[in-house]
Amino acid sequence: MRERLNAARRAFAKKRGAIPRGGEPLVLFGLLMLVPQVSYFDNPWLVMFFLVGLYAVLGFGLNVVVGFAGLLDLGYVAFFAAGAYALAILSSYGSPLHINLSFWLVIPMAVGIGALIGVLLGLPVLPLRGDYLAIVTLGFGEIIRIVLTNSEGLTNGAQGISAISTPSIVVRDIGLDKEVWYYFIVIAAFAVAIVTMRLRDARVGRAWEAIREDEDVAAAMGIDVVRYKLMAFATGAAIGAFGGAIYASFYGFINPSAFSLQVSIDVLAVVIIGGMGSIRGVVFGAFILKGIPELLQFKETADLLERLGWLRDGINRLVDGVNTLTAAHIGDLPPADTWGQEIADRRFIIFGALLVAIMILRPAGLFPSRRRQLEFAGAHEADDG
Amino acid sequence: MTAAKLEVFGIGMQFEGLAALADVDMSVPAGEIRGVIGPNGAGKTTLFNCLTGFYRPTSGEIRLNGERVDGLQTHELSALGVSRTFQNIRLFSTMTAVENVLVGRHRHARAGGAEVARPIRPSGNRLRDLALQLPRIPAAAREGWVELAGAIARPPAVRRADEQAIASAHTLLATVGLAGRDNVVARNLPYGDQRRLEIARALATEPGLLLLDEPTAGMNPQESLSMVSLIRRVRDELGTTIVLIEHQMRVVMGVCEYITVLDYGRKIAEGTPLEIQRDSRVIEAYLGTRAVSGGGHGAA
Repeated sequence: MRERLNAARRAFAKKRGAIPRGGEPLVLFGLLMLVPQVSYFDNPWLVMFFLVGLYAVLGFGLNVVVGFAGLLDLGYVAFFAAGAYALAILSSYGSPLHINLSFWLVIPMAVGIGALIGVLLGLPVLPLRGDYLAIVTLGFGEIIRIVLTNSEGLTNGAQGISAISTPSIVVRDIGLDKEVWYYFIVIAAFAVAIVTMRLRDARVGRAWEAIREDEDVAAAMGIDVVRYKLMAFATGAAIGAFGGAIYASFYGFINPSAFSLQVSIDVLAVVIIGGMGSIRGVVFGAFILKGIPELLQFKETADLLERLGWLRDGINRLVDGVNTLTAAHIGDLPPADTWGQEIADRRFIIFGALLVAIMILRPAGLFPSRRRQLEFAGAHEADDG
Repeated sequence: MTAAKLEVFGIGMQFEGLAALADVDMSVPAGEIRGVIGPNGAGKTTLFNCLTGFYRPTSGEIRLNGERVDGLQTHELSALGVSRTFQNIRLFSTMTAVENVLVGRHRHARAGGAEVARPIRPSGNRLRDLALQLPRIPAAAREGWVELAGAIARPPAVRRADEQAIASAHTLLATVGLAGRDNVVARNLPYGDQRRLEIARALATEPGLLLLDEPTAGMNPQESLSMVSLIRRVRDELGTTIVLIEHQMRVVMGVCEYITVLDYGRKIAEGTPLEIQRDSRVIEAYLGTRAVSGGGHGAA
C-alpha cells in the first residue's frame, strides 16, 4: 500500500518536472544545432528554418493564452507588431526618433511593452466571458495596423522603418549571416519553450487549467479568475512581442502591411494543428504551416521530383493502356522536370488539403496534450458520468 | 481554519419576477452541522449560490463571523473560508485526483504563504468601487509578476511551497478515503469517489464554512452511510461548520444537528430533526395538503 503510494508520488513528480522524461528535447536540440553543418542546407533552407522557429516562438506564446488558459485571442498580431515596432523605433539607424540603442537592451523593453499592452487590452475585456474576447482582440489586431500606418511621426507610416539593428554576439554582429540567425532562433525557441513549460507546471499553470475547465469552480476554489486571465494574456503578449522584435531584426525592415490578420490566423493555426496546450505540437504545427509551403517551392524538391521520371513513364503507360482498352481520353502526365514548378504553383492547394486532412484525421491536433486528448474523447463518446 | 459562524438576515434573490429566495433568516453557530431541506425548486441551491458569491442576493445581509460578506466575489469568499461542493459534480474532469485537490490548495500553495484576504465590499456605486480598487493595482501587478517570475526561475521558496501543497493534497485524499487513487483522472473515478474528491478539493481551501450540495445524491444506502461518517469526521477533526442540502431523510436525520426547511423560497420551519419530522408545515410541503390523494413530492 505504502509502496504503491510512493510509486504514484514518483510518477507524479516526474510528470511535474520542468523537462519531460527521456531527454528527448535535448537530443532534438543537439540535432538542430548540427543542421547548418550539413552543406546541403544552404541559405533558403536556413531562412525556412528560421521562419519555422519564429512561428514556433509565436505559437508557444499564443499557446499560453489559448491552450493553457482557454482564452481565444484572434488579434495576436497586435503584440507581434508592438515588439517589432518597439525594436524598430528604439534600435535602428532609420528610427524616426533617432534612437539607436543596443539590440540586447531593447529586447527586454520590447517584451515589457508587449506585456503592458496585453494588460491594458485585457483589463476591460477579460472580466467578460466567452466570445467577447475573440471579437475585441480581432478588432484590436486590425486597429493596430491602422494606427501604425497613421502615426507617421513615430513609425514613418506606410513607408516603414529600415536599417533595424541586429544582435551582436561576442563582438561580432550577426548582420545577414543566416547561419548565426538560425542558431539564434533555435536557442530562442528552446528558451521560450522551457519558460512556458515551467509556467504550465507551476501553481499559475494549474490555475489557468482550472479556469479553462470551469471558471466558476476555479473561483470557488479561491482563484482570482480575472487576475490569472490577465497574467496569461500578458505572458502571451510578452512572448509575441519577443517574436516581433526578432522578426524586425531579421528582416531589417518593417512596415504596417506585414502585420495583417493573416499573422494572427497563422499563429492560431500553428497552435490548433499541433494540438492545443502541447509544446511539441507547436513545433510541428510551425513546421507544417511555415515549412511545408516553402519546402514545396525549393529547387531541391524539384530536383527530387525530376528523378521520378520512371514513375511518370510507368503511370503514362498504364494510362495509355486504359485509354486503348476503354476508349477513354485520359491525358498523360506532364514531364517530370516540370513537376517541381507545378507543385510550387499549387502549393497552397496542397497545403490546404493537408490542413483539412489533419483536422479530419486528428481533430485534437497532431500532438494533443494528454488533457486535450481526454477532452476530445469526452466530446465524442457518450459520457458515462 | 477555525469554524465560522454564519448568519443570514432576510436574504432574497429575485430573478425577473421570480422570487427564488424571499426573506430567509438563518443562523448557524460555529461548528454545527446544519441541514437545509425542502422540495425541488425550494431555493436550496440558490441559497448556496448566494452564500458563495455565484449570485449576488437582491436583498438582505450575509454575515460570516459577524462581518458582512454579501456582494463579495466568489474567490474572495473562498479566501474568507467559504467552500462548497456541487449538486451535479463539477470536478476538473481531465485532471487527476491530486491535481484537483491542488487547485483547491491554490491560495495556500503561494510561495511566502497565503495572501491575506482583505476584500472590499462593493457599495453599489460603481465609480466609488473602482476608486477603492485603484490603489490595489500596483500590489496586484507586483504579485502577478512575482508569481510568473517565480514559476520560471523556481527559487527554493517556490519549490518548497509546491512540495508542501502536493504533500497536503495527498494527505487530504487519504483523509476522504481516496488513498492510492491520487493519480487517477477524475472522470475515471467511480461516482462515490468523485463525490469524495469534491469534498477533498473543497477542504483543500481550509474552509471555516463548508457547503455540501446533496453529498449523497445517487448513492446506495451503504455509500450514504460512509458519506455520513465522513461528514461527521470532517467536522470533528477539522472543526468546520457544515451546511448541507440533502434529500435522503435518513441522512438528514442522522447527521444534522439542526434543520432549516425551505419551500418556494421561504423558510417554513426550523428545528432539531425530531421537531422537523413532526412539523405539520413540513409534512404539508412535502406531501401536499391532502396527503392521501398522493400528489406531493414524496421525498419524505
